[in-house]
Amino acid sequence: MTAPYGATVLEHFRRPRNQRALERPTIAREGYNPLCGDRVRLELDVQDGHIRAAAFTANACAICTASASVLTERLRDMVVAEAVQIPDAELVDALGSIPAARLACATLPLKALRTAIADLTSA
Amino acid sequence: MADFLDQVEQLRPHERRVAMATLLAARGGSPRPLGAKLFVGEGGRLLGSVSIGGCVDARVVEHGDRLLRENRAERVTVSVDDAEALELGLACGAEFDLLVEPMALDDADPTVALYTEGARRSRAGQSAFMATSVSDGVVSRVLLTRPEDAPALAFVERLAPAALLVIVGASDVAVALARVARMLGMRVVVVDGRERYATIDRFPAGTDVCVGMPSELVRPWLIEGASVVLTSHDYRYELPVLREALRAPVRFVGMLAGRKRADAVRTVLREEGMSEAELARLHAPIGLDIGGREPEEIALSIAAQLVADREGKPIAHR
Repeated sequence: MTAPYGATVLEHFRRPRNQRALERPTIAREGYNPLCGDRVRLELDVQDGHIRAAAFTANACAICTASASVLTERLRDMVVAEAVQIPDAELVDALGSIPAARLACATLPLKALRTAIADLTSA
Repeated sequence: MADFLDQVEQLRPHERRVAMATLLAARGGSPRPLGAKLFVGEGGRLLGSVSIGGCVDARVVEHGDRLLRENRAERVTVSVDDAEALELGLACGAEFDLLVEPMALDDADPTVALYTEGARRSRAGQSAFMATSVSDGVVSRVLLTRPEDAPALAFVERLAPAALLVIVGASDVAVALARVARMLGMRVVVVDGRERYATIDRFPAGTDVCVGMPSELVRPWLIEGASVVLTSHDYRYELPVLREALRAPVRFVGMLAGRKRADAVRTVLREEGMSEAELARLHAPIGLDIGGREPEEIALSIAAQLVADREGKPIAHR
């Protein structure tokens, strides 16, 4: 049986980038999928409207973990207002081939990001 | 073995006063460790034992009933000396010294208060020893951090906390394992990321059920002497928890898995940089080979392995 995803997911699952806790995050929010049990927490260090560092902790499947890894690389030095606009499709495309039934796994870190930025900007 | 706090909590709803019998000495062998306790309730309830049952405990219960009525403590000796049974080789001929003392099951009782404080200290990871002296029917006690500080001729018992079992994954096997472990007197903590599984009503009373990020929830419980059993059967929790547990000072880490999947998990952890010494601490597949397939049977095989590990016994794996 072959894995239902490609080399990018495998690479980022085996060697996740930014999988750690930030020392003093500006904000941290957790994404949770009650169906499969995936949990991912995204932490951001925001200064002057820019994301200076992004990191994550995941107790999640390979797709969700890889997605958080790819996303945190993408977020570095990004303007917060732009980060919140990242579409689902952009992250899913960056991960390569993802089965339709697993899209929720791929987009969970984005949901955590949007919640974090919404809470940050409304604070 | 349940600690004093657990035992008192079990008795309190039913009994106002109890006689506590403590095993001080045994000649001719004893299957129970010194310090073992049997509580004899004023209302008739019994909890614990100082032998494996039968004639010895029954005689201790008689002493307990009597000393509750007389409201005084006494050091008693019980002998297994039935002549006919000895002749037939059906009695062991052992002799036991016990302290039997009445106490009220409230915090104002000095014995309850002192043992409760000792149990709290041991649960907090501190060293706790109870030194008990008996002179002319008068019992005196002192709670110590070092046994060598005990008065001469005092009986000294280490107040060990109940063994801690951390179960990751609130599966059917976890429910059964929690039941068996509570029966064995263990303190049980269940951790899961899924709210629908990790509900208090699925687990026996006294179980701590935690929902959240499993690898973070387990951290406070990864202490010396603890056992960690992963029953989630899902790498999304197994890998993050094993990264923590195999590097912690716990005594036992086991995972529910077939041999092939267990090896695959080891391979991932090895590629991440986990050492062979750390990987060697993982018991997977877990459970003694008793052939059961139902959750309760698997739980029994896991619990048996935990006991065998505690006792240092070699085992036959699943």
